[in-house]
Amino acid sequence: MASLKSQSNAWIDGRAVSLEAATVGAAELLLASRQPLIAGLGADSDGVRAAIGLAQRLGGIIDHSHSDWLLRDLDCWREGGAMMTTPNEAKIRADVLLLVGDGLTQAWPELVVKLLKTSIRQADSDSARQIIWLSRNADDKIAGFDGALEIVACGAGAEFAASLAALRARAKGAKISTPNSVWDVIALRLRSAKFGVAIWAAGDHDALCLEMLNGLVRDLNETTRFSALPLAPPENGAGALAACGWLTGAPMRTGFGAGELWHDPWRYDAERVARSGESDCALWISAFGGPAPAWGAGVKFIALDDGATPFAAAPQVRIRVGQPGLHHAGVLHSAQSGTLIGVGAPQPNDAPSVAQAIGAILAQIDRRGARPC
Amino acid sequence: MLTQIKGGHVVDPAQSRDEIGDVWFEGGYFVAPPPHAQPDDIVDAAGLIVMAGAIDIHSHIAGGNTNTARLMMPPSHRAYVQRPAATPLANMGWSSGEVGRLYAQMGFTTVVEPAVAPHHALHAHLELADTPMIDKAILAILGNDDFVLSLLRAKASPAELRDHVAWTLQTTMALGIKVINAGGVAAFKENIRSFSLDDIVPSYGVSSRQIVQSLQRAVHELGVPHPLHVHCNNLGLPGGVATVLATIEAAQGLPLHLAHVQFYAYGQEGAQNFSSAAQHIAQAVNDNANITVDVGQVMFGQTITVSSDVPRQFASRAQANPKKFMIFDGDANGGGVIPFNYRAKNFHNAVQFAAGLELFLLIEDPARVFFTTDHPNGAPFTAYPDLFALLMSRDLRAQWLERLPAEALTLTTLGSLKREYTLPEIAMMTRAAPAKLLGLSDRGRLSRGAKADVALYRPSKDLAQMFRTAARVYKDGKLVMRDGVATQGHFGRALHLAPVVDASVRKRMNRYYDERYGMPSDFMQVSGEILPSPQPFEAVPCNG
Repeated sequence: MASLKSQSNAWIDGRAVSLEAATVGAAELLLASRQPLIAGLGADSDGVRAAIGLAQRLGGIIDHSHSDWLLRDLDCWREGGAMMTTPNEAKIRADVLLLVGDGLTQAWPELVVKLLKTSIRQADSDSARQIIWLSRNADDKIAGFDGALEIVACGAGAEFAASLAALRARAKGAKISTPNSVWDVIALRLRSAKFGVAIWAAGDHDALCLEMLNGLVRDLNETTRFSALPLAPPENGAGALAACGWLTGAPMRTGFGAGELWHDPWRYDAERVARSGESDCALWISAFGGPAPAWGAGVKFIALDDGATPFAAAPQVRIRVGQPGLHHAGVLHSAQSGTLIGVGAPQPNDAPSVAQAIGAILAQIDRRGARPC
Repeated sequence: MLTQIKGGHVVDPAQSRDEIGDVWFEGGYFVAPPPHAQPDDIVDAAGLIVMAGAIDIHSHIAGGNTNTARLMMPPSHRAYVQRPAATPLANMGWSSGEVGRLYAQMGFTTVVEPAVAPHHALHAHLELADTPMIDKAILAILGNDDFVLSLLRAKASPAELRDHVAWTLQTTMALGIKVINAGGVAAFKENIRSFSLDDIVPSYGVSSRQIVQSLQRAVHELGVPHPLHVHCNNLGLPGGVATVLATIEAAQGLPLHLAHVQFYAYGQEGAQNFSSAAQHIAQAVNDNANITVDVGQVMFGQTITVSSDVPRQFASRAQANPKKFMIFDGDANGGGVIPFNYRAKNFHNAVQFAAGLELFLLIEDPARVFFTTDHPNGAPFTAYPDLFALLMSRDLRAQWLERLPAEALTLTTLGSLKREYTLPEIAMMTRAAPAKLLGLSDRGRLSRGAKADVALYRPSKDLAQMFRTAARVYKDGKLVMRDGVATQGHFGRALHLAPVVDASVRKRMNRYYDERYGMPSDFMQVSGEILPSPQPFEAVPCNG
């Protein structure tokens, strides 16, 4: 029986069922809900398109598991100003790399190989690359990197934020309470860069730190060139954000319940919606093996996952989906190119893609005669 | 199914038709009036104006920068989302679905996204595949990229540059090539903040002029129907007119298209050193038959500017309204996205508005001046109906001029211009001429063999209203819009050139990308299999 189970792609209340039975079960749960939550959104472009289509059809809500990360970066330029560049430009051109905080190699596992260990390739550049890391502690390490690295210990929490503020102030020539500090030295290096790039993972910083970082980059451009490389979150977060943009005109955390879409980062935060009881049913999507949400117990729960997610309680309906770029072809955001790219299927399997699974659920909804909102 | 559009006022300058008559189509294409056949469907067009589907050659409707603009505006606020029609940006057409619907509503059936960075071509095509009703195409950007600049520095043969242009067209599935502030964007990465036609790109030792001329020649020799599409240096600056005139001279008689020239049509006269110099550009266009231009008309109201001219956008960040911006140092051109609010009472904006209309009215040949607003830079594309009305009515222009600051009026000739566009001239500028400019021989006309893309307009004293909502729109012979209501979910295709690319060129590009970026160039390849639509592409032949 164990082998049978391992071949199954669908379960209801933990029991293996046919894919069709699972899509029927999912369709019935979704139809019974007045405001279904389509969350996680860990899928390729096709999967995100399908999820948005489902939410529009049912008057539901879309949110991504890493919306906090995505919207914190996004808020910096939809409420202020930001300057960004690509991993390629950082690699070929940056004479100063300013690494900020933790989580960088987790966000981009190839950071060391594809960027930190490379050298400037721009035609007439004669300078060597400096790498500065604003880390928590003086003895922090970047796994796999033993090259020249200047570590500046910035502490944690409010201390880290204060460190960024001191650096920005000195970079702009403003006074701070401590004369002749390390910030004078670092600020001078940043101001002397020909083309510097600051790199961070927004999952590791609060909104004010990010605003301070973007402000630092803006200020440096008054006299020299500096840009930023905010790293993208897991679960194809940047790809999902892009698809939400062209398909809805807004980022995720958008509801379709009013008949027209409505974007509100607080109101349509999946966790808040589930915990407050504003939704009673969630379709959770993670084709990349992401962790189960902590809020799943309070709602009827349908999961489209890789079949290996450890859920606290068995989802009412669960469909194992293939991973784009591994089990099936698709379009994903690439950390290395910074763009959407086509990915192949080196290990094809028989699990449906997210788009196929949602398509099958929608077909069951159609069969039940539900009218579009 | 044989369809007869019967008894309409047929305006088809490609056949010199301006008469009451019929149009016939079957199987998605126009056919000659069959002598004895009975139509399966007769559409009574009495009292309606019948034109081919309109073609927009320059509108930023897809790709990374446009998507950035979507995410930047509107912010998370209910008033911006559930917005009444009169609210700023209400008709912006933000999502890809809305873009297709709003274009089709106005009788447009083909739209070109004119600025796609090759690395973002797949992204742009994904958006276009989600844009319903209309056919679409992209122009790929070259001229600030290391590969082209390195070829020119190395004094490579014209054949090598042609190979690269062909490879770019094939890889990105593009209909043509655009150059944006040639060399100026590359120079900005080395902190050069102003850049003109004869300035030299640091590290490469080539001038903007060399880049434009080399790409122009490569595009021409390769047989790309659409001439090199040029966004000149010095956009938006007082005295920018000199750059356009110099670029026209640099064209040396070969075909060249200059984009949104209104944004350069500025002199330095008057107390504020800012005046309209549109007549000088118009004169140069009239004198040089190899030159075509689109205008980039400014219309008043809130919009957002989207451009791959990074240093220009960087310089504009102080004028952002509301105050926010995004500057993107891309692998080659990148982009900048900055909200902007053009106000009729603002002296500079009024001069811009007037300069654009002067260009339309002073350039004599409506087949060489195109009607863009450079969507969304001068205004959203939904402002076209108002623009057409202004071109067709001197009285309407006079009403608009009353709203402008008196000082601005003294620095333009607009008030003295009496010309009114006729319907055949509008049809030439919006149908026949763009089809010819893009090499799309199968559209822009109502005659046998062309795609049955048709718009029926209901004449109205309010000319803008007539163009705002077509009575009927057919795409490929299918009724897709009726009085502004979509009748079916038709999807058009992406039009592209398919030049032959030698395997050795592909190999060379993969090697170059591997060496420079640490990844093979295959990541950029756009192909039908990756896109959601079952048949998203249609090849357009190169010349000769």
